[in-house]
Amino acid sequence: MIDVKGLYKDFGSLHVLRGVTLHVDEGEIISIIGPSGSGKSTLLRSINLLEKPTFGEVWVEDRLITPPDPYLHFDVIRASNTYKAMMAAGGEDADVIRKIKEGDLLKEKGFFQKKEGAAYQQMLKKIVTDHFEDTYSVRRKVGMVFQHFNLFPHKTVLENMIYAPIKVNKVERDKAIEKARSLLESVGMLAKENAYPDTLSGGQKQRVAIARTLAMEPDIVLFDEPTSALDPEMVKEVLDVIKRLAKTGITMLLVTHEMGFAREVSDRICFLDEGVLIEDAPPDIFFSTPKSERAKTFLDKVL
Amino acid sequence: MQLDFSIILNWLPQFGSALLVTLETTVCSLLLGLLLSIPLSLCKISNIRPLQWFAAVYTSIFRGVPLLVQVFMMYFGIPLVLPVKFTAFQAGTLVFAMNSAAYISESMRGGINAIDRGQYEAAMALGIHYPGMMKDIILPQAIKSVLPSLVNEFISLLKNTTLIASIGLVDILRVGQLIQSRTYRAFEPFFAISVFYYVLVMGLSFLGKLLERRVNKSDRR
Repeated sequence: MIDVKGLYKDFGSLHVLRGVTLHVDEGEIISIIGPSGSGKSTLLRSINLLEKPTFGEVWVEDRLITPPDPYLHFDVIRASNTYKAMMAAGGEDADVIRKIKEGDLLKEKGFFQKKEGAAYQQMLKKIVTDHFEDTYSVRRKVGMVFQHFNLFPHKTVLENMIYAPIKVNKVERDKAIEKARSLLESVGMLAKENAYPDTLSGGQKQRVAIARTLAMEPDIVLFDEPTSALDPEMVKEVLDVIKRLAKTGITMLLVTHEMGFAREVSDRICFLDEGVLIEDAPPDIFFSTPKSERAKTFLDKVL
Repeated sequence: MQLDFSIILNWLPQFGSALLVTLETTVCSLLLGLLLSIPLSLCKISNIRPLQWFAAVYTSIFRGVPLLVQVFMMYFGIPLVLPVKFTAFQAGTLVFAMNSAAYISESMRGGINAIDRGQYEAAMALGIHYPGMMKDIILPQAIKSVLPSLVNEFISLLKNTTLIASIGLVDILRVGQLIQSRTYRAFEPFFAISVFYYVLVMGLSFLGKLLERRVNKSDRR
């Protein structure tokens, strides 16, 4: 369903993600946890391209959504002039590939460019024509729920719900309204369909935001700290909605600080620290016997 | 000197048609200006350098040159070098519109920039394309915060239209000048004109307040 391969993200000189690889199967529920600044949100936001990765690839439903990364394709590396030159100077294939992948070349944008030769360029282009999917159609399949809800304040709850289905998915207005109402019903917000977002509590806003995301009928939903901006007494109503959603078999990735919740709903816990995915384990194993010192220290602090 | 306001009554028909000219010029300029300001403000917030430069140069010209000079330029100057010909109304309206587009786009830029990043992200995450996002999500919110300065712009536009009297259009001011030259009376006509403008501007401010309240209905808690 989702394949993140060797993902790097730099913000200037800050390396937020440093080679994250993650596979998510259809219907899996993954919680991404870790200290703040570990790159959790950036990883999540790379999956619907709100962040553009510096290096690496993201695949969603077997379609490539980022530009191809030559470092992830041995045949492409072998077609490059750099590789050929290093081989001609008397290298071993495995050795040269390792050198290219580990070397400072990773930082050289020049590697993507013309000096690597036509064969190399062509192979990259073929990957694009065979597998690339444009950002807009990816975003229709991948929904996102934000920490600060981001409802449109000038539209009523119902208008928030139907705008994208009508505009983007070309659903008929009547059908969109019908669908929106049944989703609002399921999150207990139907009574507020004509209210403006600013009249709602945080928990209510987040429930509407979740329903708005589901109105697009996504295959995957990303939750970016969905309860972090809520008053404590409202956390439960939102978590209950997410829990119910988890049982429907939809694929979900959550960045969360709610450890009890993560343990309860997740199939796997991914622990991220300083941009590196250092643990990826079922919740029972992760919470009872974490492998790394970092995870142990982290859990000691938060549990 | 004895004041005699009956002359105003004698000139009422002329005042009536002049008032129409003033209002016509103001409304046309404002609508056209508003229309022009949208692409101009989009240029200002775009990432494309040449567009930014264009918008910046445009704005600086219309800010930097006195309005009366712009009016003369458009009416007398431009037709001599370009194959165009304007009536006084067209030239006036065009200059006022282009001029207010410069000012409106500046406050519009501020309004757009004040919008939370999350609004863009939510729209993008829902797969909404840029034109729809700007038209339906970002601009409606930006215009709301720009509305007070838009009303101000409308008011100064209304007052600035007196400049078209200088290229021969018979607006309210011109009628006053005619009365002065015919009757040698200055206080009564210009007093009447002041009252006209004052009442118009007050009316506009009131309408602006109403509009603001209507647009802000989604803020009610």
